[in-house]
Amino acid sequence: MPVRELYQGQHPLTPPPSDPLVGSGRRVGGNYGAIVALSAGLLAAVAGVAWWLHNVPGLGAEASMSLLIGAAFGIIMQRGRFCFFCIFRDLIEGKNSGPFYALLSALAMGSVLYVVVFGAFLPNPATGRLPPDAHIGPVSWVLVMAGVAFGLGMALSGACVSGHLYRLGEGYSRAPIALLGTLVGFGLGFMTWRPFYLSSISTAPVLWLPHYLGYGGALALQLVLLGLLALALMRYLPPGKGQGVEDGRPGTVGDSPPDARENPQDSGRDVRQGSREHGLQSHGGEKVTLASVWQRVFQRRWPPGITGAAVGVLGAVAYLRVAPLGVTSQIGSIARTLMTEWNLLEGRLNGLDSFSGCVTRVIHTISNNGLLISALVVGSLAMALVSGRFELTRLTWRNATTALAGGILMGWGSMLALGCTVGTLLSGTMALAVSGWVFFGAVFTGVWAGIKLRLHRI
Amino acid sequence: MRRVGRVGTLLVALLLAAGAASASAAVSDKVVSTQWLAEHLDDPNVRIIEVSVNPGVYERGHIPGAVNYVWHTDLVEPYVRDIVSPERFEALARAAGINNDTTVVFYGDNSNWFAAWGAWVFNYYGVKDVRLLDGGRAKWEAEGRELTVRQPSHPPGNFTIEKTNPHLRVFLSDVLEVVTTGADVDILDIRSPAEYEGRIFAPEGVQELSIRAGHIPGAVNVPWNLAVNEDGTFKSVEELRELYASVGIDGSRPIIVYCRIGERSSHSWFVLSQILGYEVAQYDGSWTEWGNAVGVPITNLAGTVWGAR
Repeated sequence: MPVRELYQGQHPLTPPPSDPLVGSGRRVGGNYGAIVALSAGLLAAVAGVAWWLHNVPGLGAEASMSLLIGAAFGIIMQRGRFCFFCIFRDLIEGKNSGPFYALLSALAMGSVLYVVVFGAFLPNPATGRLPPDAHIGPVSWVLVMAGVAFGLGMALSGACVSGHLYRLGEGYSRAPIALLGTLVGFGLGFMTWRPFYLSSISTAPVLWLPHYLGYGGALALQLVLLGLLALALMRYLPPGKGQGVEDGRPGTVGDSPPDARENPQDSGRDVRQGSREHGLQSHGGEKVTLASVWQRVFQRRWPPGITGAAVGVLGAVAYLRVAPLGVTSQIGSIARTLMTEWNLLEGRLNGLDSFSGCVTRVIHTISNNGLLISALVVGSLAMALVSGRFELTRLTWRNATTALAGGILMGWGSMLALGCTVGTLLSGTMALAVSGWVFFGAVFTGVWAGIKLRLHRI
Repeated sequence: MRRVGRVGTLLVALLLAAGAASASAAVSDKVVSTQWLAEHLDDPNVRIIEVSVNPGVYERGHIPGAVNYVWHTDLVEPYVRDIVSPERFEALARAAGINNDTTVVFYGDNSNWFAAWGAWVFNYYGVKDVRLLDGGRAKWEAEGRELTVRQPSHPPGNFTIEKTNPHLRVFLSDVLEVVTTGADVDILDIRSPAEYEGRIFAPEGVQELSIRAGHIPGAVNVPWNLAVNEDGTFKSVEELRELYASVGIDGSRPIIVYCRIGERSSHSWFVLSQILGYEVAQYDGSWTEWGNAVGVPITNLAGTVWGAR
């Protein structure tokens, strides 16, 4: 029985029956209070582990921060549906650019705050040095190829790596298969790294905008580019009365990838809600009640601008305190460790360990990155429960196979690109790296091609 | 009974006093305690320099006023395997606001390895008052002391090299001469026993850079970490004397220290020369040079044969 059916209409914090977000009238009995308590318990457990880790010698503050950042990332992604594939697909297929503004907002906020951090880390960007461990990678055709492969993998598997991680918390049963595929893909990446490194990556330029333009100039250019994108995408904003739904198929659980039906509907819902219902900003006369605030925070999708800004702040906080945001380092390290132990890989890979990015190492413990992605899943799960989005989806041979294949493409792509949509696209672009923008374009192209090829409908 | 009690109290008080003294007083005037450093953060005549191995460590929080030196670019020459050139060294020191009479205090992560390398280079170029923070970065952090992400800004210094100290450094030919002539010099290998015996070429996770494994003939082995307590602070002078005397090094003969690339041996160089006052030179070519040089003898206790798997 899907958990959402447990939601009870009588709880004071339960949305009114007319709210279409919770189960389209399928709510039958249950105890919402218990679910809220369970979610609070999950988050409290993360906080408790973080508190305990803080005092463990050798782990300390960074491990603790990683856990908290991961949980926050999971919460933000779930509440704002900050899923790169959904965002791209809504634009490409649904001609709805609304969710895309979350990404632009994240990059703008992140860039501004990154520059603040850079100013302290590396006061003079013209020296030729790069800020420590920022995700500024080599720019070559390999990066483009890796990005396109990654985008195709997203279309095929229904989400990117971070998307699968947070949707794991929503009960998306394709996610573990896709993540397993990512692990395999990383292995293939390591096996094919050498020729790409020798033919291209080893001599590829590592381009960092502030090196040429200074912090002010680079930030100005970045914001202008983001602003132009925002301007160009305005024509794809859905009209006021919620006409943004292109894919209005009923929300049945079936063979088709759930994201294909859920998300356009979601965005449609939100748009409808935003215009018809009382927004805090748009209808100042509306009385703000605890129930309406609860709904806005825990049940309705966060507005794209706020979601993006939260991601941007989180990205900069992560860079300041631990390392740039990334979600593939632990997965890649597991692949590398296994392959090294099975003698499929030597300890060293030409040049790989000299680049900044989602670094992989041969390890036998859970890294800070492992803590981050674990907490991400828990944070998302807690929010999925509260918002009534937790639902175990049905796995079929067909959608499991596409998830695995997509995962392999993504693993291979993010190994060669030294990160995924989070590590290279988000953290790279926020860091004013040319590699971030190139990967952005390549991934978008890959998703576009994947959708045109209808890979997401297989 | 009462008397015993009083004597006991006195003893406890003495022990406590001794404990407190050892906790705050440093083992040598070349070593400063975290407490001393905390009291001298605003001293214009004290310059603090962090040399950490891991990128981002200094940037995410350093001791207020500390200047960052990047060991693999600032303290070495990029296109010659050598320590930083005199010209670049002067520029580096001046940029950090160092004058000829400045007290320079080094600290860093990884048990002060590269901080000690910095102290060695500074001594080589004749900086007069070079000290090391006891316990390094780890102790400062463990005590919950202040860290900042703000960049320091110090007025430029006017440091000028008055005289270098070439006797602090030896080269392959010098060491080879000691080995072949049997000169009255102690050679100290401060790597792990497994590296010394030739069972491994390099520590776990580190690139294997040498063609042969083992040690320089005649070298004795005292791993660097035996010189520090669990919290990273240096052991007492008596303990240190005993430690090295146990392998026959008592300061009566000149000493040569080496490791793999010269970073860990800087730590032992510091202990032997700056704390114990022995005459010590560092062979910074170390095993990556010796284990690769043609026609140079090695001792391999483990019987590792290169190239056979």
